[in-house]
Amino acid sequence: MSMVQLLQTNAQAAPARPKPRVRWLPYLLSLPALLICVAILVPFVTAAIYSLQRYRLNLPYLRGFIGLDNYIDFLSDPAFWNTLRISITYTVLTVVLELLLGLAIALLLRRPTRFHNAVSIMLLLPLMTAPAIAALMWKLMTNPSFGILSYLVSLFGVTDFKWASDPSTALFTVVLVDIWVYTPFIMILLLAGLRSLPRQPFEAAALDGVPATFVFFRITLPMLTPYIITASLFRLLDSIQQFDIIYAMTQGGPGDRLMVFQVQAYLEFFQYTNVGRSAALLMVLWLITNILSNIFIKNWLRLRARAHGHA
Amino acid sequence: MEHSSLAGLIFRGVALTLIVLFFMFPIVWIFMMSFQNNDQILRIPPRILFEPTLSNYKALISGQLHTAAGNLQITFMRNLFNSVVLSSAAVALALLLGVPAAYAFARFKFRLGETIAFTLLSFRFAPPLLVLLPLSLYYQELGLNDTYFGIVWVYQLIALPLILWIVRGYFEDISPDIEHAYRLAGHSWWEAFTRIAVPLAGPGIAAAGLLSFIFCWNNFVFALILASADKQPVTVGALAFVTASGIQYGQIAAAIVLSVTPTLLLALYAQRYLVEGLSLGAVKG
Amino acid sequence: MARLDINSVSKAFGATRPADGLSLTVESGEIVAVFGPSGSGKTVLLRMIAGMFEPDDGDIQVGGRSIVGAAPERRGIGMAFQNFALFPHMTARDNIASGLRAKAGEVTARVAAISKLLKIEHVLGHTPRELSNGQKQRTALARALIGNPDVLLLDDPLRNVDAKLRYEMRLELPSLLRRGSAAVLYVTQDYREAMAIADRIAVLIDGRFAQIGTPDDIYAQPASVAVARLFGDPTINLAEVTPVAEHGALSVVVAGARTWLGSGVGVAPDGPCWLGVRPDDLVISSTPGDDAIPARILAVTPMYEKAVLLLRLADGTEWLAALPHDAPLGAADDAVFVRFAPDAAMLFDRATGLWIGLSHRRQAA
Repeated sequence: MSMVQLLQTNAQAAPARPKPRVRWLPYLLSLPALLICVAILVPFVTAAIYSLQRYRLNLPYLRGFIGLDNYIDFLSDPAFWNTLRISITYTVLTVVLELLLGLAIALLLRRPTRFHNAVSIMLLLPLMTAPAIAALMWKLMTNPSFGILSYLVSLFGVTDFKWASDPSTALFTVVLVDIWVYTPFIMILLLAGLRSLPRQPFEAAALDGVPATFVFFRITLPMLTPYIITASLFRLLDSIQQFDIIYAMTQGGPGDRLMVFQVQAYLEFFQYTNVGRSAALLMVLWLITNILSNIFIKNWLRLRARAHGHA
Repeated sequence: MEHSSLAGLIFRGVALTLIVLFFMFPIVWIFMMSFQNNDQILRIPPRILFEPTLSNYKALISGQLHTAAGNLQITFMRNLFNSVVLSSAAVALALLLGVPAAYAFARFKFRLGETIAFTLLSFRFAPPLLVLLPLSLYYQELGLNDTYFGIVWVYQLIALPLILWIVRGYFEDISPDIEHAYRLAGHSWWEAFTRIAVPLAGPGIAAAGLLSFIFCWNNFVFALILASADKQPVTVGALAFVTASGIQYGQIAAAIVLSVTPTLLLALYAQRYLVEGLSLGAVKG
Repeated sequence: MARLDINSVSKAFGATRPADGLSLTVESGEIVAVFGPSGSGKTVLLRMIAGMFEPDDGDIQVGGRSIVGAAPERRGIGMAFQNFALFPHMTARDNIASGLRAKAGEVTARVAAISKLLKIEHVLGHTPRELSNGQKQRTALARALIGNPDVLLLDDPLRNVDAKLRYEMRLELPSLLRRGSAAVLYVTQDYREAMAIADRIAVLIDGRFAQIGTPDDIYAQPASVAVARLFGDPTINLAEVTPVAEHGALSVVVAGARTWLGSGVGVAPDGPCWLGVRPDDLVISSTPGDDAIPARILAVTPMYEKAVLLLRLADGTEWLAALPHDAPLGAADDAVFVRFAPDAAMLFDRATGLWIGLSHRRQAA
C-alpha cells in the first residue's frame, strides 16, 4: 500500500473512527472519593488556621491572628503537659499490655481446631462492641453499690475500691476497658499471621529437636514481626486518640486525671469555647499521629502486597 | 512444638478458661442484668439464678418508664431507629461512591487516584475531632447540623476508606484479561464492570459493607458533635440515657443489649472477613 | 470477510519498545503465527489489536477501517487468552454464549454447534473451576469462535495444556480456525506449533519482524542467524567460515575439512560468514575423508524419536547432531567423522547475521 493510499484510507476511516478511549473515566469514577477528600481537607486546613488564631466562640470580637502563640503557650502550661503525659501513658500501657496478651492468646489458639476457632470468634465480640457502650458496660459492673466487680474485689478484702471515680485507680480502670475491647484486635491479626507462616522451618526445628524457647524467639517472633508491627501501629494510632472509652467513662475526670488529647480538645471547644486552643491541641496530636501513620502505611503496604500475592 | 505433657495441658486449659471468662463475662453479665429488676440487681451478694423479667425491654419499647418519681419518657427506640437509618444510609452511599472509585484505583494507574486513596487512608488515622470541630462550625452555617444527611456525609470518613481499600484489593485480584475477554465479546465498559468485576469482587464488597456498617453503628464521637437528641444513634443515646434515667440500671442494661446485638450478630455472620476488614485488607484470614 | 492490516505500529513502555514499526497483513481465512522468544513483544501486539492499549504510532485496520481508538467491543475481534480468562462465575455455556446477541433459540443452537465441534457438549453446565485445563481451553476457544469475528487472536492458547492435548489440538486447530474465514493471528513460543498451524509465520524479535514467510521458507531460508536459531530443536550448528569460490562453486573449510557447497549463492560472499547446518543434516560415520570433519562424541542424549549427539569438532567447536535411533550412533568418547550435504548448508553474513544464500531444500522437519 503506498503512502498516498494509506493516507486516503485513514482519511476515509476517520469519521467512523470512534472517539479516543475514555481517559476521563478513572477521574469520573473517583470524583465522589475526591469530594470526600475535599470534605476532609477543608476542615483540616480550617483547623490549622484556627490554631494560629485567638478564637473564642464567646468572645468573637477578640478574634485575630496570633501566630504560634497557642502553641507557645502550651510550653508553659501544666495542663498541656498533663495531657501529653496521660495520653502517652495510656497509649504505652494499652498497646504493650494488649500486645503481650494478644500474642499469648494467639499462640494458645494457634492450631486451627474447631474449639480454638470457636474461642477466637467469641473473643471478637468485645471488639465489635461499640467502645462507648463497652465503657457503659464496665461502668455498670464497677458501680460501687451493686457492681459485680466491686463485689468480687470485696471478697478479697478490698472494700471501697472506687474504680474510675478514684484518681488513683481511674487510669487502671479505663486501661482495663481498652484491653477488654482491643486485645482481640491484636489477637486476631497475629493469629492470622501465625497461621499463614510457612510450616517447613517449624517442622525442620521439630525434627532437629530444637528447644521450644529457641523456636519461639528465633523463628516464630522474627517471622511474625511484620504482623506485630502493623497490629501495634494500628493500636498505637487509635490509642493515642482514644476518646470514646474515656469520655463515656469519666469525661476526662476525675479532675484532670484522664485528660487525654481529644477529650481535652473537646472540652476546650465545647466547654471553654476556646476554638484556637482546641485546634492547636489537635494539631499537635495530628503531628504525632502523622509521623506514626507514615511508618504504619509503609509496613501496611508491605503486608498488603503479601496478602495479594504480588510482593 | 505442641507440648502434650499433663502440666502443659492443664496450663493451657486454665489459661483459655480465664481468657474466655474475662472477655465473655461482661457481655453475659449485662445480658443477665437486662432481665432483672432493680431489686434483683441491687441484691448483695449477686445471684446467678434469678426470675427473669421482660419489664426493662417493655419500658424501652413502649417509651414509658413508670417510677416512684413519676413517668419518664424514653427516646431510646428513636436512637435505635436513628442508628439503623444512619448506618444503612452511610454504607449504601459509601458503596455507591466507593466501589467505582476502588475499581478505578485498581484498574487505572493514575496519580490522582493514588493521592486520593492515600489521603483517605492517612485521615483514617488522623484525630477525628480535627476534622469534626471545624466541620461543626461549617455545618452550622450550611444548616447541616443535626440533619441525617450531614451525619451520613461525615460517616463517609469511616466507611469510605474501608470500602476503597478492601474492595480495591479484590478488584486487583481479578485478572484484567477476564474483563478484556468480556469486552471483546461485545460488551461495554459498564457491562464488564457490573457483570464481571462487581460479581467477582462480591465477597469483598459484602465484607467491606458489613464492616462499614458495624463501624458506623459503633461510632460515637461523630454524632456526639453533630447531632442533637432526635438524630442521635444508640451510642450517644445510651450515654444520655444513663444520665437521664439515673438509677434505672435494668433499663440501662437492656438498652446496652439492644445497642450491641445488631453489630454482634453481623460480626458473627461476617467473621470470616473480619481479619481482612480490620486490617484494611492487609491480612487475609 | 475482512483482512487485518497492521501498518508500522510502534509502542514503548518506558525504555522498552515491544513494538517497533511492525507491519503485517493477514488475509481473510489466513492463519499467521506470530512467533518469537518470550519478551519479544508478541502479546503486546495482540493486545494493541484487541484494544487493551493503543499503539503510540501506526495504524491497525480491519477490512480497511482503522480500529485504533475504538472500544474493544466494537472491533469485531475474538480472542483466546493464554490463561483462558474464563468468567469464573458463569457456566461453560454462559461463557461461550456471552458474546452472542441473538434470540434464545439461536443462541442455544449456535452454542450446541460450536461445543459439538470442540467436543465439550458434556461439560456445558460446569463452571470453569470444574473443568480440566483442556476443557477450559476448548471453552475459551469456543467463546472466541462463536461470534464469527473478523479477526481472531490466539495468545499462546496451548501454553497451559498438557503435551498430549497440545498434540491433538495442533491437528485440530487449523480446520477449526479456518471455519469462519477470519483473519487469524496466532501467538506462540513453539516453532513446531507455528509450523503446524500457520499458513505464514511472522518471526518477532525485539519488537521487529525479523522475517515473514511460509513455514517452509523460514525453515529453509531463515532471514538471519537469530531466526535460524529459533527454528529447530536442537538448534542449528554454526561455524565461522570464509567461503572460497573456485570454478564457479563455493567451498568452506570447517575444522580442516573442505565441503563443496555448489552454486546456490547469487553473489559470492566476500569475507567471513556464519555457516549454518541443522543437526538433522549431519551424517556421522567412522570413515575419514577430505570432506569429513574429525570429531569426538561428548555425550549421547535421547530426544523424542531421535538421539542427539554432542560433538566436539577438531577445532574445539561444539556441534549437535540429531540422528534416527536406527542409525549407528556410537558412544561417548568415540572418534567419528562428520559430513553434511551441500544443499543443507546456509550462509549468513558474519557481521550482520543476515542470510546470504544456499540451502536448496524446501522441506520442513
